Amino acid sequence: MAIQETLNTGLNIQPEAEADAVLQRRKYIGMNVLRTEDPAFLTGRGKYTDDVHLTGMLHAAFLRSAQPHARIVSIDKTRALALDGVIDVITGEDLEDTVGPFSTTVHRPEVETVTRAILNSKVALYVGQPLAIVVAESRYLAEDGVDALDVEYEVLEPVMDAEKALEEGSPLLYPEMGTNNFAHIEFQRGDVDECFERADHVFKKRFHAGRFMAAPLEARGVIADWDASGELTVWSSSQVPNLVRTYTAGPLGIAESKMRVISEGVGGGFGMKAHIFDEEVLIPAASQRVGAPVKWIEDRYENLAASLHSKEVIVYLEMAVQDDGTFLAFKGHYIGVGGAWPAHPWTSLIDPLPAASLLPSFYDIEAVGWSIDAPMTNRCPLGAYRGVGWTPGHSARETMIDDIARELGIDPLEIRLKNMIPDGEEFVTVTGMKYDGGSYSASMLKVKEMIDYDGLRQKQAELRKEGRYIGIGWSPWVEPCAWGSEVAKANGFAAEFFDAASVTIEPDGSVTVTTGCHNHGQAHYTTLAQVTADTLGVPFESIRVIENDSATAVYGTGTYASRTAVVAGGAIMRAGSEVRDKIIRLAAHAMEVSPEDIDLAEGKASVKGVPDKVMTMQEIGMLAYYGGPNRIPDTEPTLTATRSYDPPETYSNGTIVAIVEVDIETGKVHLQHIAACEDCGTMLNPMVIDGQMHGAIAQGIGGGMYEDLAYDASGQFLASSLMDYLYPSTTEVPNIEIAHIETPSTVTEGGIKGMGESGTIASPVACLNAIADAISPFGDIKIMKSPIGPNDVREMLRAAAAGSNGSAPATQPADVETRLSQQAEGA
Amino acid sequence: MSSTIDVGTQPTDDQRILRMTINGVQRRGIAEPRMLLVDFIRHELQLTGTHVGCEHGVCGACTVRVDGEVVRSCIMFAVQAEGAQIETVEGLAKDGELNVVQQAFRQEHGLQCGFCTPGMLLATESLLAENPDPSEEEIRDYLSGNVCRCTGYVGIVKSVQAAAKQRSQA
Ligand code: FES
Ligand code: FES
Repeated sequence: MAIQETLNTGLNIQPEAEADAVLQRRKYIGMNVLRTEDPAFLTGRGKYTDDVHLTGMLHAAFLRSAQPHARIVSIDKTRALALDGVIDVITGEDLEDTVGPFSTTVHRPEVETVTRAILNSKVALYVGQPLAIVVAESRYLAEDGVDALDVEYEVLEPVMDAEKALEEGSPLLYPEMGTNNFAHIEFQRGDVDECFERADHVFKKRFHAGRFMAAPLEARGVIADWDASGELTVWSSSQVPNLVRTYTAGPLGIAESKMRVISEGVGGGFGMKAHIFDEEVLIPAASQRVGAPVKWIEDRYENLAASLHSKEVIVYLEMAVQDDGTFLAFKGHYIGVGGAWPAHPWTSLIDPLPAASLLPSFYDIEAVGWSIDAPMTNRCPLGAYRGVGWTPGHSARETMIDDIARELGIDPLEIRLKNMIPDGEEFVTVTGMKYDGGSYSASMLKVKEMIDYDGLRQKQAELRKEGRYIGIGWSPWVEPCAWGSEVAKANGFAAEFFDAASVTIEPDGSVTVTTGCHNHGQAHYTTLAQVTADTLGVPFESIRVIENDSATAVYGTGTYASRTAVVAGGAIMRAGSEVRDKIIRLAAHAMEVSPEDIDLAEGKASVKGVPDKVMTMQEIGMLAYYGGPNRIPDTEPTLTATRSYDPPETYSNGTIVAIVEVDIETGKVHLQHIAACEDCGTMLNPMVIDGQMHGAIAQGIGGGMYEDLAYDASGQFLASSLMDYLYPSTTEVPNIEIAHIETPSTVTEGGIKGMGESGTIASPVACLNAIADAISPFGDIKIMKSPIGPNDVREMLRAAAAGSNGSAPATQPADVETRLSQQAEGA
Repeated sequence: MSSTIDVGTQPTDDQRILRMTINGVQRRGIAEPRMLLVDFIRHELQLTGTHVGCEHGVCGACTVRVDGEVVRSCIMFAVQAEGAQIETVEGLAKDGELNVVQQAFRQEHGLQCGFCTPGMLLATESLLAENPDPSEEEIRDYLSGNVCRCTGYVGIVKSVQAAAKQRSQA
């Protein structure tokens, strides 16, 4: 197969589904079309930011704070500037007149605004904060320059304990604010107090969800070329090139029309690269200053210490529950463990606010109440990562439901099914979220069947007799998708969102589609071409999709929050239908029939019932653009339309189950298998959906069991290399089995609901619940934090052994208890 | 700020001209002794298919083959590869045709963002050269030093299995 022939021909389409429609080339949505993107990546021609080389380009490296909280007494540039090849050393003062600040907030009255200099060389607020930029002839020389900077710090007391940061008298990150708390928000629906009074049981829990991060394999990178005519071109490894333009043009003092942002190849983003970073302002500012293009490529230390961390929330939950397991009401207090400042533009609320907003999930409760605090601490800023705060919120709620099920002696599957809202229908939750139909129970039952749940429980009981401990962890989820204005508001973010697409038939009949979303692994050039092909009735191969460049694609806000299939897909359906109407009218006019008689398929307009009356798309294109009087009078020549789409609230759902075996001697957890069933409404390309599920689940396994961005009490960062920050590898991620249910959305274009994040929302707690289930015979096991590593397992076993007052667990407890306590003493 | 920008193209005192064979082609370039092999390949020879994910030998994104051995080019200096035979991702496709392993990765959705892919392909080539019919466990074991942040490895394992099968039938 020659590379130039590896187009997505019909051969690539899996034969099983709807073979006739496919063979007639009339339907691509729902097919496993192979990816248009692949040949470039497979041959090493991916065009990532560091692959770009410009004539005369210089290189930047950053001096970064070694202190979590300090006043910078001085930065002496003398030795650095004396080095051969060092061109410039830039500190905050050098940019005071040219670079404006970032002002970050969420538009609600309860939220503060933090306004800060983008290069602060006076005060350090976390380990890794940029303090100065060295520009040199090579990266090696730039780093030599950084090493030659002499910095004097006056160390200040670090604020590391998020709960203490909220107390009166705590040291402050921003003394002028008078508080460390970025936001305090409260919310209540229904009579919460009455439910808690009426309940047979009130359960309480504190859960500390750990700090982990996207850490894409390609770290960030920025190149800026601010040329002599005042035009600025920026290459940035970003998921949101247009937002980079919109948010950095202001501080840089340049019109957006003079600025182009290119994010062609991006080696993974996962939400982290959906922010606006300081370097995206500072590298253009450096380019302007030195009068040459400047490149900065983030190294792994910078990525781990100083890009963005995510997910850390301390959650206090209370649940009012009846004897029979009926949930009456939930209460929560979410403390988002923020960093030095709110990440721009989503802020650190991106974790606690969605976590709290989705507290009821799909449980049919009568009342809900929650509050949020968002203290800033001397850590790396907290921002979005695949699944945002739904991950910690979900982990806290679902570990607690397992605790309750164990306490009440109800199976964890049963207690969830008992409280679940009905499948298939629209449903307004107690918080006011409008669910657009789903397979909440059906997906659980599907996974029950996939893993032979009853058989597995039997096996579990038998293995326990042999001293082997397997566990089954349930994690059903509902995921707010598409991040249009309504879903954003339902999650507490009062802002407007949309995206846009243009669809153009070129004169030769080929099709160009552009969108404001961003393609970095999700296969948009394939899946959105599938949508276009079906909308227009043209062959897949005739379509080219363009994104990732503010100069060549229509303006939009980028890709994040499981939105592109819904938002760009919907915009393409709208723009495409307009173009399709134009084509039909033109063909009808040319062939002298009425538009209703035109059939548009396979790139041909034919007259129904008259097989030889046909126009190809090329004939239609030429007629439209160059047909002059043969065109319909008073129509414009272009065959194009641009439309935007802001979808209503939409929610996908599904279930993940993890099966583990725990070695109680070492605490080691062997994750044996993951089975999942997902429902994202209309599927565009099942192969791509499976890939998104696999990847997101693997990242969640990392967050549940391995990845921990730890700081010590003095604020030093402990996870500064991939030897300390543990990515799951092939040997930690098991085989993952995915099933699908399709419940099309009742409200979106095409019934598409969106997907991509749910694996990272739901798989951590599937692992945590499986671990607890495995070791539950040893006493009162409750998971209070994530991640859970071997030490934590051993701790829980010790605590359970110490806490059991002689009431023997079901199987061979005494032995193990004694062994554990002996080992504990020996340790 | 110094006023002139002078990017030298001649080796300075501490630089050397290095020669090596990359994908069958004799190449030469200038390197300081401290230049990493991966930087030499990417920036001096402008073969940017080999990637950098960590620069400390953990992620496998920089995997190339040096004299037939799989090597992390971020923990080796360019001067150490003087005269060596080096294979990178750019050498896999022959006469404009994706090779069996590349095709298998496409067929089985073994890549998403593509950043780990060059390293994965090189590691897979080595695995299959050593062990033409690996079990799933052997595949997972061999590739455990190559991180992928996108695929959860499911598609990658399937791709390697498909490539092995395809090669054995050829
Ligand atoms: S870049 Fe060489 S192992 Fe990561
Ligand atoms: S495909 Fe993105 S890291 Fe592997």
